[in-house]
Amino acid sequence: MNCRDVDRVLIESEKSVTASLPAQAQGHLMSCERCRQLVRALEASDGAEAPSPALLLQLERSLAEDLQPVRPLAPQRYFLAAFAAIYVLIVAFGVYRMGAFAFSVMSPLQAIVTLGALAASAGVLTSSLVQQMVPGSRHRIPPHYVPAAVIISLMSVMAGIFQFQHEQNFWRQGWSCLRAGAPFGLLAALPFWLLLRRGAILAPRIAGAATGLLAGLVGTSALEIHCPILDAWHILIWHLGVALLGAVVGFAAGFAGEMAARNAQSAHH
Amino acid sequence: MASREHADDLLQETWLRIHRVRHTYRPGEPVLPWVYAIARRVRVDGYRRTRRIMMHETAMEVLPERPAQVESGNSLSAFDTLVATLPEGQREVVTMLKMGGLSLDEVARATSSTVGAVKQKAHRAYEKLRKLLEIRPEGGLREGIK
Repeated sequence: MNCRDVDRVLIESEKSVTASLPAQAQGHLMSCERCRQLVRALEASDGAEAPSPALLLQLERSLAEDLQPVRPLAPQRYFLAAFAAIYVLIVAFGVYRMGAFAFSVMSPLQAIVTLGALAASAGVLTSSLVQQMVPGSRHRIPPHYVPAAVIISLMSVMAGIFQFQHEQNFWRQGWSCLRAGAPFGLLAALPFWLLLRRGAILAPRIAGAATGLLAGLVGTSALEIHCPILDAWHILIWHLGVALLGAVVGFAAGFAGEMAARNAQSAHH
Repeated sequence: MASREHADDLLQETWLRIHRVRHTYRPGEPVLPWVYAIARRVRVDGYRRTRRIMMHETAMEVLPERPAQVESGNSLSAFDTLVATLPEGQREVVTMLKMGGLSLDEVARATSSTVGAVKQKAHRAYEKLRKLLEIRPEGGLREGIK
């Protein structure tokens, strides 16, 4: 057993440090002064002024009893379904308005991978948002990593599945794609926000970025089905740009909301 | 924490916020991570608010603020002194695990993180504490630690 193993035991042990250390760890402590000092320091937390486990349990029970009469938030699956329905409906509306020209030029593999990646990204974002609505939820990925992870993954997939070509009228065509996709993102943002405000958002900036990105992905999805340009640069900059723009605007909105709440509180104090 | 009054304000604000979002508690789920997650956010908001006010007051060059006085009965324990040297995230994890008596899963829920990330933070904190304990003079830290 080495110092790292002792760390693992200490991390997974209960509050009382020495009582729960196995014989192997005790043996290591005999020979390692650094670990001995650490354990001794952590033992000091036992004597610190903290509520006892019994008191915490009592507190937890009484809180849970008091909370029972309150009508709780709907189960997560309802919110997941609502987010998915809004996403699909607005993408369908976008495709209905603009047309589905991309399918005629994309290979089946490109179509499956592109739409699959977009659906998976939307799923990850939705799941994270629904968990963020309830404080103390169990997260599979820390929420502050989710927007960045989704953007990087999508960019990698798009760069891998489409070829980099020279495109004529790159800026003009790109700008028209951005202008066509962004309104659908904006349209999706409102119902997403209405759903989110039913929960308790503790980190508005992170939730704002994730919501903006999800709304932006609505626009990106509509563009991926509509736009027949298969140049990787075009897709990375102008189609995913809609999603990225949504994330930035969402982050800014979350920041503004946070500042407004803080100012209101400062005035109250 | 600057003072007892500040702590009382944050406690009051925490209970108010708990009351406001009480519908988000899901029956059957652990209560403490839910409460800790809300309290943690109130503390972060309180810290940012105080920092902003202090920055503003310094920039305006109004009367210099007297440093917040630590009440005599509020002396820090040896453990608190030790973990105070850790970065915020690591201090939070070690305190919740070793003082709050929360499990890894509960700490992960309270900090909107994953069990793996909590373990990593705790490991880094222990590594840092080892180095610190090596550097610091024997007597300085042993006060209160038997």
